Amino acid sequence: MEHYSLKINGNVYETDAEPFESLLDVLREKLRLTGSKKGCDEGECGSCTVLLDGKPVLSCILLVSDVREKEVLTIEGLPQGGEPHPIQVEMTERGGIQCGYCTPGIIMSAYALLQENPRPSEDEIRFAIAGNICRCTGYSKIVEALQAAAGTPIR
Amino acid sequence: MAQPEQVTSAAQSGPYDWIGSSVPKVDALDKALGITQYVGDMQMPGMLHARIRWSGVPHAVIRGIDTSDAEKVPGVRAVLTAGDIPGVNRYGLAVQDQRVLADDKVRSAADPVALVAAETEQAAEEAINKIKLDLEPLRPVLSIEDALDPTAPAIHEGGNLFARTTVRKGDLDQGVRDSDVIVETTYRTHLMDHMAMETESSLAYMDPTGVLTIITSTQYPYRDRRQIAPALNLSMNKVRVVQAPIGGGFGRKDDITSEIHAGLLALKTHRPVRLIYTRQDSLIANTKRHPMLMKFRTGARSDGRLTFVDADIYGDTGAYLSLGAFVIKKAGIHACGPYDVPNIRVDTHTLYTNNLSSGAMRGFGVLQAAMAHESQMDQLAHRLGISPIDIRLINTLKPGLATGTGQVMDEGCGIEATVLRIKEYMESHDLRFARS
Amino acid sequence: MTKKRGLGVGSMFYGIGYGFNRADIGSAYIEMADDGTTTVYSGACDMGQGIMTVVAQVAAEVVGAHIDTIRVVAADTTSTPDAGPTSGSRATFVQGIAVHEAASDLHDQLMQTAAGMFECEKDELEAHNGDVYLKGANAPIASLAEVAARVHLLGGRCASWGWHDNSTADVDPETSQGDAYASYGWATQLAEVEVDTETGHVKVLKIVSATDAGKAINPVAVEGQIQGGAAMGVGYALYEQHILDQGVPRTDSMAFYLVPTSMDVPEIQCEIVEVFDPKGPFGAKGIAEPATVPTTPAILNAIYDAIGIRITDTPATPERVFQAIQEARARGEFED
Ligand code: FES
Ligand code: FES
Repeated sequence: MEHYSLKINGNVYETDAEPFESLLDVLREKLRLTGSKKGCDEGECGSCTVLLDGKPVLSCILLVSDVREKEVLTIEGLPQGGEPHPIQVEMTERGGIQCGYCTPGIIMSAYALLQENPRPSEDEIRFAIAGNICRCTGYSKIVEALQAAAGTPIR
Repeated sequence: MAQPEQVTSAAQSGPYDWIGSSVPKVDALDKALGITQYVGDMQMPGMLHARIRWSGVPHAVIRGIDTSDAEKVPGVRAVLTAGDIPGVNRYGLAVQDQRVLADDKVRSAADPVALVAAETEQAAEEAINKIKLDLEPLRPVLSIEDALDPTAPAIHEGGNLFARTTVRKGDLDQGVRDSDVIVETTYRTHLMDHMAMETESSLAYMDPTGVLTIITSTQYPYRDRRQIAPALNLSMNKVRVVQAPIGGGFGRKDDITSEIHAGLLALKTHRPVRLIYTRQDSLIANTKRHPMLMKFRTGARSDGRLTFVDADIYGDTGAYLSLGAFVIKKAGIHACGPYDVPNIRVDTHTLYTNNLSSGAMRGFGVLQAAMAHESQMDQLAHRLGISPIDIRLINTLKPGLATGTGQVMDEGCGIEATVLRIKEYMESHDLRFARS
Repeated sequence: MTKKRGLGVGSMFYGIGYGFNRADIGSAYIEMADDGTTTVYSGACDMGQGIMTVVAQVAAEVVGAHIDTIRVVAADTTSTPDAGPTSGSRATFVQGIAVHEAASDLHDQLMQTAAGMFECEKDELEAHNGDVYLKGANAPIASLAEVAARVHLLGGRCASWGWHDNSTADVDPETSQGDAYASYGWATQLAEVEVDTETGHVKVLKIVSATDAGKAINPVAVEGQIQGGAAMGVGYALYEQHILDQGVPRTDSMAFYLVPTSMDVPEIQCEIVEVFDPKGPFGAKGIAEPATVPTTPAILNAIYDAIGIRITDTPATPERVFQAIQEARARGEFED
């Protein structure tokens, strides 16, 4: 076991972990930040997506020892002043959520996209979430919600 | 806060306040915020982590299971095999052909043979890999053709043909005589996975009053309880099954998944036990969509009217039935599609093989049947020079007409309206078939 | 031109619920607390399709409450009655009626008490969004909370339960003749595809799904089911396949078992058709499975329309389609 100070959602979390543990397992099991989901644990589904220094990463294939000194942002860190982020609101209101298991990962991928590209096209949105598998929605309403969050016209 | 459709006056201006209104789902915001607790998000003090060892071979006699090395892995609290089951080692949705843990034989590569509970997931994983299986291979039955072969070994007592159903209506020979065109084709469908994004998962513990409580990702807690209690030799009022938020089901979570295993380990260790399938576990042990072999012969008159359907449907339910016989029977009931067909012969055959089991999956046999009957409709349309839309409109069921099983339709019969909607869509968007 | 386009349609009907003399029931408890908030103990599992929301909408409508005051308790053998499984496209159809029944009875109890409070007949009263009105009036005479508090004060029930049996007798064992299901769902889809005749790759450009919802209780939720069902159908028709080698799965990772991504699923146009079903709640029908069934035949028929070759085995992978094209070329039957 080693000791880690992790910068997550603007706070510092102290925890002991094995260096080979994934960031996802540390978030979920040690820090109880369970919003990031485990859909595959093999880097294929995107449900564990978090931001590392502003870039979307798959936390299931990232070792906790690799995130020292970096800023992690998870779904729990998105609301500001107790208010849900506009992406969270639009996903809720436009039917972008069914079972919800893919949702945190999709929202984090979308958040990263909008940080870089505030007015993305539909193709850019689809590309940004291409690594996030959703089995329930067929993606249409997710794309629509993200267009609404970005304030771009909805098809 | 959601707004009702109309807010001006008390008396309803529209017909409804809430029906027909797209209010956001009641559970959606929590999911967006990441605060919904699925089973895998839950922990309890003293909780153990469980893993399952699968057989990995399709058909074999079990000569022995050596768990001694697994038990020595630090942190392991229980390694269980069939002999540790306190109740009846049989369960299943339609017939009790499944084992909680394999006893006499292995019938598929997804048979669970042993369970481990340990202080950490890593220890549980290490332990299942150290379990040694002594298996004597048997000839496996690996296809529908194999299962129909009378010399193939019987997977269960009673043979590999579990059930046959028949649909009969009118006079098939007359239908053939009435036909100007007959199309005959064999279709084959494949094994499909539900791939719900949340894998099968349960958390089991004894509550302070001595009730075994299982929080699980399930489509039906009551039927789970019906299967859990006898296997664990508990009365039903000592078993509580709670449906947790579900990360997708699509039919997979109709079956028992992780519930009995988690409950058994909690019972044996007196500790809370969380059993989450890895994605690999899920892809192996998931009850899938039935592969089917479908031989169809369909006739029509030159004006496009269907004259007969003559079909044989063979479904591979794998090593265990689950709901297979109902899925395949339903395929037969729906084999003529939403059409008025005067003469029908359909036989269905539910077959055991040593392949992975199939069960309920969104579409429940009707998807496979539709793949066949709709391909047949298109072939007839092309042979007769009628558009694919028109041949459907000529034959769709309407109020007063009867399905293949003789059920007379009432005003709720909506098939014609859906075909017409597609026809209108094509016209208004100037979409035309390339070949008709 | 190595890319050819085609259109295909697929229709289907789907028996809602179980048939075959299998138990097919719904049931729910409902209660209103002193402050007018309502709890529905509904045994129907929500897998994300939205049965909890449908239950809340039906309860709000029938009780006359505001939807934000309704709480739905998920299935639990200790607190909710047995409502059968969520499968067979039956949840809205069966559980919707059970909840309707429970909510109507609760509504009656409340109106009875309100009638006593205001010295009128209960049939002269109605409730909307948490308030009680004389029928046709614009201003409420009381809130449901006041009425509920009164019921509790008087030691009244302020609770009820509803039950619905959708079971049907089995069909004839020899001929399968009989009323196999209480009701049916109906759908037709149109698929537009583009087939690359050099690679066999099929791209789905568009799906239009005309699905008969009877009455769409929550149209956005219905569209979500339609779109998700069609996406699953695209996966089944073209990509997804478990491969077994001597009965042992070779596709035991998401790296090998491929499900459609946001780049693979085309625009899915939802055309909700509403043919009232006299047996469903508010005329509604089940749509979850009808949403996915027609996609595969529509795609296969569209492939035929594009290239004149009928694919009879699923999935229509590039290898399979390319091989079929090559065979047609060898026979001199393929127009490149
Ligand atoms: S859990 Fe990380 S990609 Fe699936
Ligand atoms: S909402 Fe279920 S996986 Fe996306």
